[in-house]
Amino acid sequence: MICRTEVCKDRKARIKQITNHPYFGFFIITFLMLIVQLLRAAGVPVSNTLVRAFGITMIYIIVALGFSILLGYAGLASLGTAGFVGIGTYILGYFTKNLEASVFIVILVSIVGAIVIGLIVGFISLRIEGMYLAIITLGLSEILNEVFKNAVSITNGTNGLGLDSQLILFKNLIFIDHNTIFIVTAIIMFFMMILTLNLIKSPTGRALLAMRNSTSAAQAMGVSILKYRLMAFIVSTVYAMLGGVIYMSYISFSIPTTWSLAFSLNILAAVIVGGSQSIYGIVLGTFMIFGLNLGVFQQFDFFKNNPAISVMFNGLLIILVIMFYPGGLIRLVTTTYYKLKKALAKLKTKWREYRYGSDN
Amino acid sequence: MFDTTGFWKDIFIFILVLVVVYTLLKIFVLKYFKNKDRAKSIGLNIALVIGIFYLFFRIFKVIDDNFPDFSTMFMMTNIVNQALQVSVLALATTGIVLIFKTSATTNFAQGMIATFGAFVAAKLIQYFTLNYTDLSVTNMVFLAMIGGAITAFLFGIFVDAVIIRNSKDKTPIGKQMITMGLVLVLAGAMPLIFGKILLPIPKMSYEPNIAFKLFGIDLFITVHAYYALIITVVLLVVLFSMLRFTKWGLGVRATASNELVAGMMGVNTKIITSMSWAIAGLLGAVAAVMLTPNATNVTVALMTPTQVNAFMAAILGSFSSFLGPLVATVLIPVLTGLLSLIVPLWQNAVVYLFILAIVLVKPMGLFGKKIAKKV
Repeated sequence: MICRTEVCKDRKARIKQITNHPYFGFFIITFLMLIVQLLRAAGVPVSNTLVRAFGITMIYIIVALGFSILLGYAGLASLGTAGFVGIGTYILGYFTKNLEASVFIVILVSIVGAIVIGLIVGFISLRIEGMYLAIITLGLSEILNEVFKNAVSITNGTNGLGLDSQLILFKNLIFIDHNTIFIVTAIIMFFMMILTLNLIKSPTGRALLAMRNSTSAAQAMGVSILKYRLMAFIVSTVYAMLGGVIYMSYISFSIPTTWSLAFSLNILAAVIVGGSQSIYGIVLGTFMIFGLNLGVFQQFDFFKNNPAISVMFNGLLIILVIMFYPGGLIRLVTTTYYKLKKALAKLKTKWREYRYGSDN
Repeated sequence: MFDTTGFWKDIFIFILVLVVVYTLLKIFVLKYFKNKDRAKSIGLNIALVIGIFYLFFRIFKVIDDNFPDFSTMFMMTNIVNQALQVSVLALATTGIVLIFKTSATTNFAQGMIATFGAFVAAKLIQYFTLNYTDLSVTNMVFLAMIGGAITAFLFGIFVDAVIIRNSKDKTPIGKQMITMGLVLVLAGAMPLIFGKILLPIPKMSYEPNIAFKLFGIDLFITVHAYYALIITVVLLVVLFSMLRFTKWGLGVRATASNELVAGMMGVNTKIITSMSWAIAGLLGAVAAVMLTPNATNVTVALMTPTQVNAFMAAILGSFSSFLGPLVATVLIPVLTGLLSLIVPLWQNAVVYLFILAIVLVKPMGLFGKKIAKKV
């Protein structure tokens, strides 16, 4: 199909303008996520576990986006993610159940809490660097886990905190329709992606990158380590807590065993496997680590009976990716794409030479 | 506890004790040392440790007036009760520090490799009980422990030689990620390899407890803990003398200070690193076999709390020395044991907070030297 008329050329240019827009990819991802829900609305029998898998994956994508700012841009390895997400879930649970507060107040409280916690961890990170930080944040996560287990009046201890599928919106008690929450989650994910992209393409993102490559050089160029470290931690914690709030409203149940070291490691795996500096990479990685297991493997009885296999698969993925593709799977995808493009172009020229004869 | 005036008085006394001890040290001891900075830090640490222990004696007094004079006894009983935990933690921590020294990375898979060894040991015990009925419990566990240790030894070599060495991302963080991946792989693989049957490991001995007297206090220790302590001491003494007196030890110390230069000076850093991974695995496996009777069966999550504690001990005592973490491995279980009496359920959280506070004040740990960074 070759365009000859002016109208056609104009149309093509406009389409290209839309597809080249940086938000277009995010829109496509969100749309793909929503397809399950749309199919269900259209009457196609989609199993509950599949929808749930997509929902949980979206929530984890939000958490992983925050973590990627920390790991991929600020270069700080933290293992406290599980604790922070856990706090988010318990804030929603406690405020809704015991204080009967509106969801907006909950989100406000969790953001303020996230800023406070981010500040604390950020200040710790100024004193302690590199691998020590991973261990210290691991200790912090363990402390939080102990709190979840033992502060029974707030978290209901090891039995887990249930929410009976209810939320309070503008002082009205509403019963949650999980499908609505699914759509809301997708929209929030879309906006979070846009926010992340704008953050990492801004001077802030460049300052973070400079800091990651060399703190001394960054300082010499006038980047304030204090400011940007604190900011990276605050942003990451806000994302994690928001993820926790959404998780609680979607699943309506939170138990301390979920927020253990394994969760932090899985989020880390998602970011590493996909590629810590690319938003598409994070989406891909989260799908590989969580979505594939929840959505595909759990459909088969073999994997249902041996949950250990998917854990092993995640571990193998991490090791292989770090061993052979340190940039993440997304780099593999892009390089293969460009190689294919190059090969196609070569083939095209060869075909032309065959058809019309070579130039010389 | 905090509203009693005695508590605040104690804190005041604690600070006073610190100041007095430090001043005394500075006046009478430090001036005889040539290397003043190091001596200063050692003196400060001794003062800190003494002060902390003193504070805990005093807290007991505040809690319950009935045993003010028995606080020493309480301390001793507690230390003896924690003997098994201390020895397990000491082995695990030494493994982690050894790997940190040679590979410059923190090994998150230490606990999992150790658990792998414990699984093999448990399988061996199962085999022995079926086929060699005349073997005594002690011999059986010892043989199984050796089997498990050899497995973990080989596994350590495998991890370094096959995975870490061939990795494209050789930065410390990259290696750390690999060990985290290894945690997941082993956590998934072990239930598949060893099945879902419960695999118990018996205590090394079921003889009656050994009673003894120390500082005029009657104490007793279980035979299992006693054996564990002996094994730990023997292993650590052998390891430290190897580090001090053999060529391998010299190589380890050279690699620890600078891997590149050590390699240029003819040290075979590959073998040194592999061996330290292997020895770390061995130490971990021995620790895991000794720990298992507490939980009766070997499970995947067996070593996780020990692993976290070992990291904390290594941070508290500083990664840059071998003896510092060992002091911390004694401190942490003892503190946990004491706190479980004062604030039951919250003891781990309080200990971690305590360590966090110390590390914030001294980022290099209690016994660490501050290394000036060149740009």
